Amino acid sequence: MKILKNFRVWLLIIFLFFAFISISPNGQEGVAIRGITPDSSADDAGIFSPSKNSRPLDYEVILSVNSVRVKNVNEYYAAVENLAANETISIRTDQTSYFLTVQPQVEIIQTNNTITREIEEIIQEEVNGSTINTTITSTITENETITNIIGIRDIGLSVSDAATSNIRKGLDLEGGVRVLLQPEEQVDQETMDRVKDGLEQRLNAFGLNDVVIRVSGDLSGNSFILVEIAGMQKDEVASIIGSQGKFEARINDSVVFRGGEDITYVCRSADCSGIDPYQGCQAYSEGTQCTFFFTIQLTPEAAQNHADITGKLALVPGQGGNSYLSSPLDLFLDGQLMNSLQIGASLRGRAETTIQISGAGAGISRDAAVLNALEEMKQLQAVLETGSLPVKLDVVKIDSLSPVLGREFLKNAFSTGILALVAVGGMIFIRYRTWKVAVPAVIASFCEVILLLGIASLFGTNIDLAAIAGIIIVVGTSVDHQIVIADELLGSSQKNAKLRIKDAFFIIMAAFFTTLVAMVPLWFAGAGILKGFALTTIYGVSIGVFITRPAYAAVVEILLRKE
Amino acid sequence: MSLRTIYEEKYKQLLIIPFGLLFVALILLGMNYSATGDFVNKGISLEGGTSFSLIQEGLTADEVESVLLYDGDMQARTLSGAGKTIGVVIEIDSVDSEIISAIEAQLRAAYNLGPNDITVETIGSSLGESFFQETMKAMLIAFAFMGIVVFLYFRTIVPSIAVILAAVSDIIITIAISNLIGIKLSTAGIAAFLMLIGYSVDSDILLTTKVLKTKVGTVNEKVYRAMKTGLMMSITTIVAVSIALIFTQSPIIKQIMLILLIGLGVDLIMTWLQNVGLLKWHLSRRKDA
Repeated sequence: MKILKNFRVWLLIIFLFFAFISISPNGQEGVAIRGITPDSSADDAGIFSPSKNSRPLDYEVILSVNSVRVKNVNEYYAAVENLAANETISIRTDQTSYFLTVQPQVEIIQTNNTITREIEEIIQEEVNGSTINTTITSTITENETITNIIGIRDIGLSVSDAATSNIRKGLDLEGGVRVLLQPEEQVDQETMDRVKDGLEQRLNAFGLNDVVIRVSGDLSGNSFILVEIAGMQKDEVASIIGSQGKFEARINDSVVFRGGEDITYVCRSADCSGIDPYQGCQAYSEGTQCTFFFTIQLTPEAAQNHADITGKLALVPGQGGNSYLSSPLDLFLDGQLMNSLQIGASLRGRAETTIQISGAGAGISRDAAVLNALEEMKQLQAVLETGSLPVKLDVVKIDSLSPVLGREFLKNAFSTGILALVAVGGMIFIRYRTWKVAVPAVIASFCEVILLLGIASLFGTNIDLAAIAGIIIVVGTSVDHQIVIADELLGSSQKNAKLRIKDAFFIIMAAFFTTLVAMVPLWFAGAGILKGFALTTIYGVSIGVFITRPAYAAVVEILLRKE
Repeated sequence: MSLRTIYEEKYKQLLIIPFGLLFVALILLGMNYSATGDFVNKGISLEGGTSFSLIQEGLTADEVESVLLYDGDMQARTLSGAGKTIGVVIEIDSVDSEIISAIEAQLRAAYNLGPNDITVETIGSSLGESFFQETMKAMLIAFAFMGIVVFLYFRTIVPSIAVILAAVSDIIITIAISNLIGIKLSTAGIAAFLMLIGYSVDSDILLTTKVLKTKVGTVNEKVYRAMKTGLMMSITTIVAVSIALIFTQSPIIKQIMLILLIGLGVDLIMTWLQNVGLLKWHLSRRKDA
């Protein structure tokens, strides 16, 4: 039992414990709430959309609908299939219970019957140079309209099977949403490629890295863009990629700066972005509205532009004794006025490079409003940072798509992996003729995979094909290094065990550093598959070299010493 | 002359094998480039192709994939909505109109589809044009970094170059062989080539350490000691990879394993002929000086 007194072994056990907590496997059955459609029954009932950075087990899980247990997506859809308009359903989740009123889908039709009703009209007249408003009442005849309930509106929940652990699966393994986008006008191939790059940048700036974007075309020559995004809900996708993202800040119709090229930096840290501490949230009868803010840095040219335009404005007194410029800074997104900001008097004629942008988000409760405001903020930040797309894209259709690697893939990969590992153990046994080297080798390699998955779930790294390749290479080099250790310990050298392990680790560390520095450029190369692979490999070889392989060396050394 | 003496004495002549292979591989890659405009044969995920969307409830991706007769790279996925499968998307790596109509005819015959139940679209690469250039750049920097680390570790230039050369040759020759046997490279295949860096480095570092850092014995004895460990490393990996190749059902894992298997085989030549040869040559010159 000397093994249990070794601190390297304890280090491994402690790390395994934390990895297990991080992954926290459980057998929970139910459906996870992945998104809420705004203004739907679910939204009205106060169910929140999860934040994008949620770990898989953080999603609220629906356990039953109308007291009928739902274990998976199919059972959920069966339970909500035959709802009637204005019916109230109860949904119990792992956190609380909700009561949703199913909204009716209505259609308004005109009949041939005519009805008359009285309306009030205001008529403006110029009399002797001044305007006079006269209100008259007139009677009009119109066709009667009837409102019919023709069905029900979707209750607005996007769901997926509940996660059974915190391991986040990537697009390859989990599938996701596929959006088909069509440019509003026909553009050439080069512009399409720019649209593709722009979209990719924007999605990345929005915090979505696991995306595949492809240019596509049908047989009649129309071009499309196909975007696949891991585990996203449909509304979010549509709002982030469906807008062209043409952002303009104007004063009296002259453009001060535009999104993209005029902006050098968009702040995302807590000290210069978030819910505005001065404006905060205001409650109204229909709900709450919260104001968000974040600062941006303009290019010197854009700042000079700001100075030239504001220099011509007059000062007007505002509330609380502060003076403001006579015209506000109007923020337009895709031609729509998004917000008007008062400009403080002190900024008149100054070439100010730091500008504060603000906007608002609303919701039925304070929490919901905060969440929505922050979501709006993130979308706006992504748009400001990456600029507008060369052409507006229309969302043609949105589908859920199964993963490339299929449902059976993981099971198959797992059993194949176990088989390969056992075979490796067998080979080591045949070579060294002792289980004392072979059994710990298999266990150590297995531990390495668990630790790697633990770290990946802790840092929220997607496990996808690239990561699986990383895991395979980590286990492969792990076996290599165990053989180096075994050979040193069983070799004919006259040195004592400590020095032999040191010799083995001289080789192992050289291989470690060489692999490590090879992965760094791949990590920074940006493109998804390289990054995922590099990241997993870096985690993996580091765990191997500092935790599992020293523990392996210690265990084997102790086991061999007893002879 | 026994094989053993040839290996021990004629190491300079034996260098012809790895360098010859490298030379032939470079020519093959050049030919591939001039013929297709690419060094590798790209599959659907890298090159794009044609996608067929079938709208019919209850279809499964596996089923459709097994019904279709197509030689090239093919991928099928299920479309779903409201918890039900509503159709299947099949992607093939060809844009040839004859092949497209043949596949469409097969699908129509097999599933009795209405005129609007199938849509055919061409699809582009999932990776940007800049991806390959970026990957190449990143790989070059990676090799430079590796060279620097190996140099800092052993403090001599030639052995460091030999380690890097072994890894580079391994990857180049493996790409050439993959092209020859007609592997259509997917994004997974790219991952496999990256994995070769890690495997190839392991055996080369082992060799260099054993030869340069241990003091007991002649150079040949040191090489044999390294080889005992190194071959064991390679054989266990080759066995594990072969098992994965045989037992996996996923074409993507199959491709990774096939490329790894080729790469590991090539690595044996690169480590035990090229790297050993260069190391011994370097040591003999140092002894003479």
